[in-house]
Amino acid sequence: MPDVVFELDRVDFAYEGGQPALKDVSLSICAGERIVVLGSNGSGKSTLLKLLDGLYYATAGSLKAFGQPLTEAAFTDDAFNFAFRRRVGLVFQDTDVQLFNASVFDEVAFAPLQLDLERADVITRVEAALRDLRIDGLRERPPHQLSGGEKRRVALASVLSLGPEVWLLDEPTTGLDPRSQSWLVDFICAQGAAGRTVVTATHDLTIVDTIADRVLVFGEDHHLAAVGTPAEILGNAELLLACNLTHEHWHRHPGQREGHRHLHVHGAPHNHDHERNG
Amino acid sequence: MASARGAIERTLAEIGHVLEQSLFAETLSRQAGVLQALDPRVKVVGLLSLLIAVSVSRTLWVIVALYGVALGLAVVSRVPLSAFVRRVWLVLPFFTGLIALPALFMTPGPALWSLPFGLVVTRTGLLTALFLLARVGTSVSLALLLIWTTPWNTLLKALSVLRVPDGFILILAMTYRYIALLLGIVDDMFLSRKSRVVGRLSTADERRLLAASAGALLGRSLQLSTEVYLAMQSRGYRGRPRTLDTFSLTTRDWAWAIGLVTLAALAMWLGQLGG
Amino acid sequence: MSTWMAALRRGGWTRLGVVYGLIAAWLATTAMHIPDGYLSPITAVILYALVIPFWYRGLQALRKQVSARSVPMIALMASFSFIIMMFNVPLPGGTTGHAVGATLAAILLGPDIGGLAVSIALIIQALFFGDGGITAIGANCFNMGVVMPYVAWWVYQAVGGNAPLTASRRVAAAAVAGWVAMTAGALITAIEFGVQPMFFTAADGTPLYAPYPLDVAIPAMIIPHMLVASVIEGAVTALVFAYLQRSNQAALQLNGAAPTGVAATGGLSYRALWVGLAALIVAAPLGLLAPGTAWGEWGSDEFAELGLSYVPSGLAQLEGVWGAPMADYEIGFLGNASAGYVLSAVLGIAIVVGLVWLLTAVLARRQTTTS
Repeated sequence: MPDVVFELDRVDFAYEGGQPALKDVSLSICAGERIVVLGSNGSGKSTLLKLLDGLYYATAGSLKAFGQPLTEAAFTDDAFNFAFRRRVGLVFQDTDVQLFNASVFDEVAFAPLQLDLERADVITRVEAALRDLRIDGLRERPPHQLSGGEKRRVALASVLSLGPEVWLLDEPTTGLDPRSQSWLVDFICAQGAAGRTVVTATHDLTIVDTIADRVLVFGEDHHLAAVGTPAEILGNAELLLACNLTHEHWHRHPGQREGHRHLHVHGAPHNHDHERNG
Repeated sequence: MASARGAIERTLAEIGHVLEQSLFAETLSRQAGVLQALDPRVKVVGLLSLLIAVSVSRTLWVIVALYGVALGLAVVSRVPLSAFVRRVWLVLPFFTGLIALPALFMTPGPALWSLPFGLVVTRTGLLTALFLLARVGTSVSLALLLIWTTPWNTLLKALSVLRVPDGFILILAMTYRYIALLLGIVDDMFLSRKSRVVGRLSTADERRLLAASAGALLGRSLQLSTEVYLAMQSRGYRGRPRTLDTFSLTTRDWAWAIGLVTLAALAMWLGQLGG
Repeated sequence: MSTWMAALRRGGWTRLGVVYGLIAAWLATTAMHIPDGYLSPITAVILYALVIPFWYRGLQALRKQVSARSVPMIALMASFSFIIMMFNVPLPGGTTGHAVGATLAAILLGPDIGGLAVSIALIIQALFFGDGGITAIGANCFNMGVVMPYVAWWVYQAVGGNAPLTASRRVAAAAVAGWVAMTAGALITAIEFGVQPMFFTAADGTPLYAPYPLDVAIPAMIIPHMLVASVIEGAVTALVFAYLQRSNQAALQLNGAAPTGVAATGGLSYRALWVGLAALIVAAPLGLLAPGTAWGEWGSDEFAELGLSYVPSGLAQLEGVWGAPMADYEIGFLGNASAGYVLSAVLGIAIVVGLVWLLTAVLARRQTTTS
């Protein structure tokens, strides 16, 4: 029976102004699982990841990681903070937030440095991460001179240098060209194959199949709408529609007299080349 | 008397100029020159000592000699002399030159030349103007040498040799990094506004755009400051910043360090001889 | 009268005009950044020594307000400050000028943190642009990162008082604060310049650094600033403040921009004090109407007029020791005694106020570090 990494029990989260982001969420994630969190914009995916990373704290309910509750008080303990930060890594959606250092090298070195690792150890980790992500030639570059794909790789490297057990990825395919996108999918699969836990938040349905063992779907009402395998979730057209992950519209093929309804996946190129099933 | 270049155009031009300068400096700092190869801490200490020598000198020729040293260092560091000279001496007349000009006539002392309108150039006036020009020109040249032969981020880390705390260095690095981002935002806002209008914006529109972009920048800056903090926290930051540098001193570095500091000390001593 | 004044007077008005025009033209378009070479090393060191405690004070205040968040907070605020300094602001007549933005920083973040943000932006300017001014970093940070923000903050509080955040009175307060702060900054810079030829000359009297004495430097810097640069600073501050009132009030509540009740002190408001001071300054030239010299303030040359045939020996010996920079409150440059009086008053008040602020700042810091 694999270890439970994250356990949420009736978790609520609301922002300081009172806006709710998550309501009554109960779920658990086991070690080595590859999870995809699906939901439209504003459904609470990013917030969930930040909660899992101990950056926000639940306003109701209990959230445990590695069996220990994640509360503000818990993180004031240096030992707990260090241990947790080494095991869990979050890659933010906005690379301009993730990359706040003035060079790629500094960025990748930041995490191991803050965790008080030995200088030699830090340098080894940085070199390894730069190599693995093939960004060795960019080490002295400042972030504003990098392309979108390069920035994403630096963001990943900045977490890789920690060697975390758990990866939390917030909309990692945003703004990536198709080649970079497929490269990222490979990366996620590789981490999963190495036994790491990967939680990816996305609203891109096209990659779910490849990168997920299990899918958590959040509705626009901030509740957990459904949990299932990729096949179950992607096959449930009503669910996807209800959660605003797809939309349907009428269209007419050339030569046909009648129009018909067609489900269109957000973010995917629109293809009318399908069987006319009505 | 409205020119074709209004406030918006000029700001865009200045932003472009800043980015251009930064790119130019970065290219130069990767050349295989003498100064580029030195440990940045040696450059910081050495050039700072020379800067102090320039500041302290009471002898004009010592300052000029130090300018010669700066030129020499520029040559061996593959810094294009024309750019080096132009950058200093074409800009100087418009600021320091203008300031120094009246001093020629106003400083009391033995007269040198008489000019129309009752203006008389005095000897002390000439000297004082020369001192000012020489000091400013040489100081800027030395500063340029440092900046053009050292990548910006490396230069920041080298400040640790001056006992600047790690936290401050991190702040300077982050400020620089986000200046680039915010410049991009301003650029976009200005260009998109301009694209909706033929010719120049009216002054009232310019003021509105300036206020709106300043306000937008402030909003984005505040938002970034909270989000970046989350990103820092996520990677273990607890308010005790640490930086890492890969500097190591070779014999050559030591030789240059001693050489530059000795030269500066000599210049300081000679500089006092002028009285 | 100083020899400088005598020399100038001999040259006639044309010379004054040419000289003044050149200095004013330059000063009005640049914003007070002092390059290397204008200040003697001693002046530079003194100003470094003056500014460093304020940097610490700013960092302490920052940590107190946002604790571990202080690094990204001050970095982003400094970036913002840097960009504001780059804005060209349109002026009537088709020219443009730059604001410093220290007033805005002070109003939004408080004078200690706002001043720190401006200082960091200035340091990056000095190191990044390569325009020099590295030994002058201390001076520039003092002028624009300490004097300007504190003056701005004080004036803003005094004029804005308890008005609600969205009141137009606050916009006016921001504008006035900007104007006064920039002028104060120009004044302090002018003093730093003007003091150079007094103390730092070669053996034969050649000024080694900034060449103009106080009686030239002060009016030459203050007047163009009052007419141009300070107006820009006030205008930019007011414009952005008004914009924020409409679109982002949260930004205005970051630090003490909301009414703090400082203005009310037992019935006597700061505003009344300022108005009173201003009235006194304007009325100062009335003193010129009074005949003769004030009782007890005689120079040795005036004793004969009083009907005395001798001069006390002590007076005769000590008379020449201190040559006042602006003797008889005259600023010969202006050729107008009333204007000289008014400017002398402004200068005198500014110096006293400045010293008091410095003192309170240092004392307050001592209090917070010991508490």
